[in-house]
Amino acid sequence: MSDLPRPSPTPPAAAPAAVASYEDATARLEAIIRRLDSGDAGLRETLDLCREGRTLVEYCAGELEAVGQGLQELALDDLVDRLEAGAGPGPS
Amino acid sequence: MADLHPDPTVAPPAASGRPDGIAGSRLPGPFGVGAYAGKLRDELRKRARVQLVGEVFNLRHSKAKVYFELRDADGAVPCSMWRNELERARLPGGALADGVQVVAAGGPDYYPGSRTSSPSFSFAVTALRVAGEGDLLARVERLRRTLAAEGLLDRQARLSRPVLPHTIGVITGEGGKARDDVLAGLARRGWAGRVVWAFAPVQDRHAAPRITRALQDLAATGQVQVIVVARGGGSLADLMGFSDETLCRTVALLGVPVVCAVGHHTDRTLIDDVAAQACSTPTHAAEAAVPLHCGEARVALRGAAVRLQTHGRRALLERARTLRRLARAPTDHVARHRRRLHQSLREIRAAGARSHAARERDVARRALVLSRKASAGSGADSAARHARLQALDAALTALDPERVVERGYAVVDDGAGNVLTSARGARAAGAVRLRFRDGPVRATVDEDQPDATPDQGEHP
Repeated sequence: MSDLPRPSPTPPAAAPAAVASYEDATARLEAIIRRLDSGDAGLRETLDLCREGRTLVEYCAGELEAVGQGLQELALDDLVDRLEAGAGPGPS
Repeated sequence: MADLHPDPTVAPPAASGRPDGIAGSRLPGPFGVGAYAGKLRDELRKRARVQLVGEVFNLRHSKAKVYFELRDADGAVPCSMWRNELERARLPGGALADGVQVVAAGGPDYYPGSRTSSPSFSFAVTALRVAGEGDLLARVERLRRTLAAEGLLDRQARLSRPVLPHTIGVITGEGGKARDDVLAGLARRGWAGRVVWAFAPVQDRHAAPRITRALQDLAATGQVQVIVVARGGGSLADLMGFSDETLCRTVALLGVPVVCAVGHHTDRTLIDDVAAQACSTPTHAAEAAVPLHCGEARVALRGAAVRLQTHGRRALLERARTLRRLARAPTDHVARHRRRLHQSLREIRAAGARSHAARERDVARRALVLSRKASAGSGADSAARHARLQALDAALTALDPERVVERGYAVVDDGAGNVLTSARGARAAGAVRLRFRDGPVRATVDEDQPDATPDQGEHP
């Protein structure tokens, strides 16, 4: 994980615009790299694509990091208790 | 039961210190009980084999056999059946359960027991089928058709499944092997997110309501992106709960995708049909819950990041080059124009020279044509040849000594025609001839001494 690009200090709260999930992000990322590899993109487009691609890589890295910090096990009852104790609207 | 007497040769009475019989009894014996038990088993096995019909009660499983009682209103018989024979019956999951009416074929048998194990009588079932109104298979099939008609069988399959869930709910038996299998499957994916365990009995008749409740609770937390329902080992009869109508309707209508690993390959329970995905083992179910291999994804993402960086850097270098080119542009522009002007000038000059030469060639050609035409007009080439001969003649004539004589000079010779051209020659000849224009004159050289001044012989 250490040589993965770190998520930015303020990790994206949600996926970048028009990207709803990890698979969407990777699909878009692949499309971007295909476009860049084709060599058809002009300078302006290349720089725009690189910027968008970096955002996607950061998002994906954040997602992978979320499931790479070590397994966390929790009993359902504990989770329910925690939700009910929390400020959020727990299940009634 | 007189025919149950043990063979006297096997157990001879009172031959080996065996106690005496009961005083006054006329019955034979006493015989060894083990021998009697073996004989009893043999006699029971001789009885006619039949088919019985009744309701299953108190179904129990051991490693090799299943045990139950067959009952009806008038009585009951304890039954046993080898598991491999039960499996040969290919009953659907959960079909054999308490309360189910079955037809059992077989015959009475007796287990003689031993010093350390208890004897038992049972009706040994060798073939079995579920029958009557209590036919679970038929009931499950009816329910399957009902759910299909309601469009509930593929609702889960249409749910979108995240390839990388952060939180997974797992419903399984507490302390069962299934739990370890699920963890192994997750580890195989390189996934180490959050697992919410909901333990529920998965083998008895309380299983269905408890699992249903756990499903609802897990979904209600709004925290899990996928739920795994995993049953560990267990017999086919344990599967009944997973065809429960309430449970299956709950799964079908759940907004969270459910991956189940309940049955074996051969038996299909109703939950397999309503769940988003049915797997053969808990390990596979865990892997199905996390379609993305996280380790591979990390490698791929690193690759993507590197390629983006390469492309970005290349583009920036290109931009720098473009800017440098743009900065140089005005000077380059002027230089380019100057070069172009010079070039134009050279071209114009060259063109002028070319046209001048062409004109000259034209004039010369025309002059030649004109002169030829003129010559042709006055006797063609003969005139020119004549003129040339005249010129040659004039040149020859000019060189002829006679012409010189005619102009007033004289030629001196020795009288024999040898021209004397020096004073010495003349003195040596002594007598000379002078040839004048009008004729020769003989003369004698009368001078003996050579003159101080050189003699110009041809001078007159």
